[in-house]
Amino acid sequence: MRIRSDFKPFRLSRHTLTAVMLLLLVGAICLVSGLEFLKMHRPDVFYPSQGVTHVAMLSDYFGRLKNSPGDSEIYVFKGEAPGGRILILGGTHPNEPAGFVTSVLLLENIRVLRGTVFILPQANLSGFTHNDPQEGNPQHFGLETGKGIRWFRFGSRLTNPVHQWPDPVLHINPAGQKLAGMESRNLNRSYPGRPKGSLTEKIAYAITKFIREEKIDLSIDLHEAAPEYPVINAIVFHENSAELAATALMELQMDGYEFRLEASPPTLRGLSHREWGDHTGTMAVLLESANAAHGRLKGRPSPELIIHGKDRNYVKASRLGLLFVPFTTEGIPLRKRVSRHLAAIQALAAGLSELYPEKSLIFQDFPQAATIEDRGIGPSLHPPK
Amino acid sequence: MISALYFLIVAYFTAAFLVYMFRERKLSAQISTALVLILLLLRLFLVK
Repeated sequence: MRIRSDFKPFRLSRHTLTAVMLLLLVGAICLVSGLEFLKMHRPDVFYPSQGVTHVAMLSDYFGRLKNSPGDSEIYVFKGEAPGGRILILGGTHPNEPAGFVTSVLLLENIRVLRGTVFILPQANLSGFTHNDPQEGNPQHFGLETGKGIRWFRFGSRLTNPVHQWPDPVLHINPAGQKLAGMESRNLNRSYPGRPKGSLTEKIAYAITKFIREEKIDLSIDLHEAAPEYPVINAIVFHENSAELAATALMELQMDGYEFRLEASPPTLRGLSHREWGDHTGTMAVLLESANAAHGRLKGRPSPELIIHGKDRNYVKASRLGLLFVPFTTEGIPLRKRVSRHLAAIQALAAGLSELYPEKSLIFQDFPQAATIEDRGIGPSLHPPK
Repeated sequence: MISALYFLIVAYFTAAFLVYMFRERKLSAQISTALVLILLLLRLFLVK
């Protein structure tokens, strides 16, 4: 047997060995961080009350959304007696949790005896699958129900770029308003939508079509804004709902809630309170509460900041007169922001019944604002299964 | 169409950085390349 004298065993050079090790490390980091990102794609779980009569999808009204990341559930509560038809929209901006949580609280509690209530808790479902880069926001926040913690996603103001890319340099929205490119992924700048537009424009189109086809009398879009933002603790109304907004405001003030009325500017295009009113005839209203986690002056973002709303920077800013709402060391907790939304929805529904008796609504088990403010949100949510 | 072009650009840079990491002899340059590769790979698989 001959042995080749020129045989050399295979050996990796030092730099190839380090490259292989680094590649393995890169793979491990991608796997861990990738799984962390993908947690945001797990859907939130809701437990509708027994009063729910039907669960529709946005794609039932606009087929092109079917199986897309924008196809979201609409919970329908139809009373036995005919009456008003109202839409409650949460999650237009998934980083404004009071609107989303308010709609979840309603869908897990209410029964409707007269009229029909439609609840769309996650209007921009894609926005719930990621959060804003460079903000350091938590991915989730938890609410204690007494029998376990209910976890909800804390998403982004904008549609996930994985679902809609690239952003243009300048965006001209479907209503003709010129905006910065990233606003092309902002649902509340995309109304009335475009049937062949981007994902965000298709969602906007589906919602507009849904309001028109279902002949919704009153549509309420739930939001939050920073305490330094002037349109805060406000009812923003289309001119077709001015009387209703004023009636609701009086009722709210009698109950001790301070709100300001803001007329929807006719030149500010693409927003729900403007385009819904112009294109569908529904009485369009947008509600804003004050959220420190949303502001530019906030300290470290955390689930505690979202839930308890305490931030010393905002206390200082309040002392300096820089805010549009009072802000003390007590903060503005989520339960207070949600209770304000609930009180305003109830006042608007009462106003609708008062001004248009044929469109009246009668609820049962409507979560009471004062109870939510005192006891917190968790006890009124369904415990996790 | 534009998404396919995007994928191709990211895939090209990923491959180029990968080859560079294996050719490079300086450890610090290899580590720097690995850090960039993490971002490119996450983007390539559209995780975020």
